[in-house]
Amino acid sequence: MTEPLLRIEDLRIGFTHRGGTTNVVRGVSLEVGPGESVGLVGESGSGKSLSCRSIIRLMPARAEIRARRVEFEGRDVLALTDAQLRAHRSHNVGMIFQDPFGCFDPTKRVGEQVAETLRVNAGMDRAAAHSRTLELLDGVNIDRPEQRYRSYPHELSGGMRQRVMIAMAISANPKLLIADEPTTALDVTTQAQILDLIQELRRQSGMAVLLVSHDFGVIAQACDRVVVMYGGYVVEAGPVGEVCARPQHPYTRALLESIPNLESAGHRVRREGIPGQPPNPAELTTGCPFVDRCRLVQPECANVDMSLIAVAEQHVTACPFVNEHRSAVTLKGSS
Amino acid sequence: MSDTTLRASSPLRRFVPRRLHNWELSAGLFVVGLLVTVAVLAPYLAPYPPNQINILAALQSPSWHHWMGTDFVGRDVFSRVLYGLRIDMLVVAVITYLGLIIGVVIGTVAGYIGGWVDAVVGRIADTVIAFPFIVLVLAVVAIVGPGLKGVAIGIIIAGWALYSRVARSEMLALREQPFMMATKALGYSHLRAIFRHALPNLVRTSLVYSTVDVVVNMLVLAGMSYLGLGQQAPGADLGSIVASGQGYLLSAWWITTIPGVVLMLFGIGVSLIGDGITRGDLVQATP
Repeated sequence: MTEPLLRIEDLRIGFTHRGGTTNVVRGVSLEVGPGESVGLVGESGSGKSLSCRSIIRLMPARAEIRARRVEFEGRDVLALTDAQLRAHRSHNVGMIFQDPFGCFDPTKRVGEQVAETLRVNAGMDRAAAHSRTLELLDGVNIDRPEQRYRSYPHELSGGMRQRVMIAMAISANPKLLIADEPTTALDVTTQAQILDLIQELRRQSGMAVLLVSHDFGVIAQACDRVVVMYGGYVVEAGPVGEVCARPQHPYTRALLESIPNLESAGHRVRREGIPGQPPNPAELTTGCPFVDRCRLVQPECANVDMSLIAVAEQHVTACPFVNEHRSAVTLKGSS
Repeated sequence: MSDTTLRASSPLRRFVPRRLHNWELSAGLFVVGLLVTVAVLAPYLAPYPPNQINILAALQSPSWHHWMGTDFVGRDVFSRVLYGLRIDMLVVAVITYLGLIIGVVIGTVAGYIGGWVDAVVGRIADTVIAFPFIVLVLAVVAIVGPGLKGVAIGIIIAGWALYSRVARSEMLALREQPFMMATKALGYSHLRAIFRHALPNLVRTSLVYSTVDVVVNMLVLAGMSYLGLGQQAPGADLGSIVASGQGYLLSAWWITTIPGVVLMLFGIGVSLIGDGITRGDLVQATP
């Protein structure tokens, strides 16, 4: 494998408060290669958003990052000075957020906001920024860009705002685009269009994409590799096809089984949900965080150290009992 | 559409966003606009120089020669009111909006930075607010000496604090908005985030409050002049005209009453504008 664009090793993020520290991200490692598309999947509170925000150190107050390594192109992100950090944020990494409305300044025309990033981050003059903005808006499939340039955020639909936000994020030709649940606030049709757009832009520009979602379907559609997170840990990672076909960790398996598919449509099959609630990060101690909800729980699960074990080429999981599971599942299937 | 004709029918409807169309704003803009116009055009409209004395025509009641009568040394009250309004409006506009700019900038920066900076600025503002307004102005006048300058400095020193507090609390809410986080994600500088993106979003509350403040400051200014601490004789100022006619209240009511009414009209007009804008905001908040 070539030198990765982004390398995170043993990332831990905790919130300090009066009672001590609550660790929300508890040891995450992931890599994104140049031009690669990686999906980060997990439920609310699994630490996926915080993990990817650490890449540009966009942390809430009181959050503390510790990591063996957060490197972008071999440079330690956590050691950047303020000026370097600003350059890193403006040139290397583009970010798209979940809420396409709140992310615009409501008092300024959207075109001007895109042009502003070009003027500030790419040093263009007003005229150049204006014409480049129109190109960008056109590039994200916005009709009549001249007219939309002059619109205020509240005058655009959710899908349209998300397109403008993408235009803004890619305006500086970033090497990595982080899309933090970019389609959660959109309806399904628009969702597909936005995902296609991100794919197309990736093909055109060769940038890498880190797509965060709680929807496995979205990841499967858009990514080369997937990283599954649960309770602040990576529980499984591997090529999307491989993970979907042969999920190893019981959590991944349960997640995949909960997705409705076309074969079962009309058959009134009851989808298996995952019983219970995601763990409260404050109550997690040692061992596997999935232990309370796992169908295949073993006595040793409370002492698992959550290090990743290779099960196939590039396919890793944190569950050490995968082989036993396989037999367990076969047993269950045959009975 | 039927409202195309409506929209073209008055300048207000053409230049002001439709959500702000209400009678309060129209009436307020009309009254204040009229007063501002006559104040600006005072040198052309005034029939006499404001300080021209004519003892032979002293204490005349309103007539075609002297629309608002004359005072105890025969000065034309109409001319003096025009000039008095002119200087008062100018001073009030400057002190109110200078105070607003200073307060909003300080409050916004304090709210953005937070921590001990915020705490220190907050305590200073609290101290100023807790101090009796008039006493503070009087103290400054005592140092600087009587005259509009001292009153103006005093009102600014006392006035910035409320704007600072309002802007600071708006900033705290704004700081949590995704678009303020986006300014960080895009690598913008703090100055750009504060002045280009936070300020335009929080200044509106302060602007609405300033319509109350303008009236208060106008009254304080007139009050100081009335007490002889503001505009000095023979200069005209609404407060000093009222004071000069006080001794003749029973025989020459016009000297005190008319500038008082002008002051009142100005106050009502500005308040109506404030109400109109606030109502427009409420309409906008429920789309």
